[in-house]
Amino acid sequence: MSEPQSSRFPAWSPRSLLRNRAFLTVLIVALVWIVAGFAKPGFGSYGHLRYLLELAAVIGLVAIGQTYVVIAGGIDLSVGAIVTVSAVGVPLVALSGDSSGVLAVLIILAAATSIGFLNGLGVAYLRIHPMIMTLAMATFLQGVLILIAGGTAISAQNPVLAWLGNARVLGIPAGVLLWAVVSAAALAVLHATPFGARLFALGANPLASALSGINVQATTMAVYAVSGLTAGLAGVLILGMNGQGYVGIGDPYLLASIAAVVLGGTSILGGSGSYAGTIPGAVLLVTITALITVVNASAGWRSILFGSLVLLLLLLSGRESQRR
Amino acid sequence: MIRSGDTALYWRAQRERNRGLLGLFAVVAAFLALYAYLFPGLLTVAGISKFAQSWLPLALVAMAQAILMLTGGISLAIGATVSLGAVIAATTMTGYLGVAGGVVAVSAAGLAIGALCGVIAIRLRLPAIIVTLAAAFIIAGLALLILPRPGGAIPGWFSDLLAGNTPAALFILIFIALLWKLYLATPLGLSLYAAGENPVGAYRAGVPVDAARIAAYAISGLLSTLAGLFIAAQTGSGDPVIGQAFTLNSIAAAVLGGVGFLGGRGTMRGAIAGSLLLSVMINVMFFLGFSPVAQYVAQGLIIIGAVALPQITARFRRTR
Repeated sequence: MSEPQSSRFPAWSPRSLLRNRAFLTVLIVALVWIVAGFAKPGFGSYGHLRYLLELAAVIGLVAIGQTYVVIAGGIDLSVGAIVTVSAVGVPLVALSGDSSGVLAVLIILAAATSIGFLNGLGVAYLRIHPMIMTLAMATFLQGVLILIAGGTAISAQNPVLAWLGNARVLGIPAGVLLWAVVSAAALAVLHATPFGARLFALGANPLASALSGINVQATTMAVYAVSGLTAGLAGVLILGMNGQGYVGIGDPYLLASIAAVVLGGTSILGGSGSYAGTIPGAVLLVTITALITVVNASAGWRSILFGSLVLLLLLLSGRESQRR
Repeated sequence: MIRSGDTALYWRAQRERNRGLLGLFAVVAAFLALYAYLFPGLLTVAGISKFAQSWLPLALVAMAQAILMLTGGISLAIGATVSLGAVIAATTMTGYLGVAGGVVAVSAAGLAIGALCGVIAIRLRLPAIIVTLAAAFIIAGLALLILPRPGGAIPGWFSDLLAGNTPAALFILIFIALLWKLYLATPLGLSLYAAGENPVGAYRAGVPVDAARIAAYAISGLLSTLAGLFIAAQTGSGDPVIGQAFTLNSIAAAVLGGVGFLGGRGTMRGAIAGSLLLSVMINVMFFLGFSPVAQYVAQGLIIIGAVALPQITARFRRTR
């Protein structure tokens, strides 16, 4: 594993730094922030940038699992539904004896993880294509959601969530702090553990990894479980920030998570990439959205601008190598 | 091209392809029989017309997705393209372009948008899934610009012709299936499977891989906007977000029909059968009085079951 590791993180030299897609994305984010800060007073203020980071934290959390799944050669189309399930589900599992609300959050996180685990089960043992398995799971969850939540918004009276959504620790929002801690853990697992190494191997060549003794089924189930867990975390965080959950609250995060992963330089074909690129990818997406809101265009133009900017950024950072 | 002496080989190849689909055809037939049993009105001209009308849009997007998947591509912009087709139809047909002009405008938009997606994805070597994801935003935005809220109109006689008590939808579908057979006999059509199955090998053998793929994107766009045109005719007006559900349903239908994600695997008849299965399933559940909740749950389970079953039986056959 030392060989690809060293090629993924080459020695520091200006040339190799410019080839590093994670660094390029950071550069673009910084550039956009500086230009927008000068062009639009208030955009570059500390309060606004902090608010953008809070929004990016939700996308970033969902994108952790998505990055893992994509590196392992799959894709998870159920993350949006899992975000919604956990945002709507917390108040439903609140127990009377559980005044702090920690237990409810833990139950929901366990549920989200098991949903991801079921995805992995279908992909690994029933050998259903990930896109179909997670899509069917999303359809299934949509039905379950209407059953438990109906059309009404559910508000949460949960101290832990309220803290997570509103508290500032040394001026840093608790949500951003949570994102930072989980990100550090995610990066460590991805780049410094055998599990992380197996993900890259699996994504690069599933057959070869099976023949070299990797337990493909177990790894697949674990990676989708991680995706369920981080989507669940994001749902908990968004419920804390919003104060209420409703059906459809998680929908935007599906496409945002995939876009963040690809903008961050992870190959959609699997086998290469890093969460280190996804983090600036998530910040970039939120920044683009904020810029478009500032421009004050109609819904149609906003959508066109967003798509064009993503496409443009993709041209800068996301080209696949030529295959012939 | 197939020489006359090769007809035996042709039919043997077709039989080989059909064998993997026999299970699917049986399930579809069973569902159709169940539907006809529950709702005897199906077996009249009006019943068949109505059913074909509810099926046609899904069949069209399933074909649009299948042709891309055969070349190793995929589109997440199908739903947005369907919406765009619907709003263009609803805004042009009552204007001075007339119905014929409207059909031309819808077709041209579909071809152009599909071809553009194809050129960006293939010439610029960007992953199709993310190009079409970005394209979905742009196309949905265009649809919103053309028609910010549901509105517009389709001439009444045109709606009645397509979606009245005539089996026009069924004939359109048969006609398009025949066109597909013809397309497979053209140079670009012939390259389709080769470009998907083994692009490098095909390129070395002189197959116009890039052209075949870009053509597939263009045709896919055309089929999607035509689905939008038909939906607009059905509802009599345009809705800028009506196509949303079609993206994922098109993928589900194509995969149910045995079209593989990696290119070169699958048949159009399979994709059409897959869309038929989804469509009958939704209709049957509606008639059985399933709540929308149960419909979602059952749809998820049936898709998983239908996709997993061949895998499981294949594994049993291997171990035995």
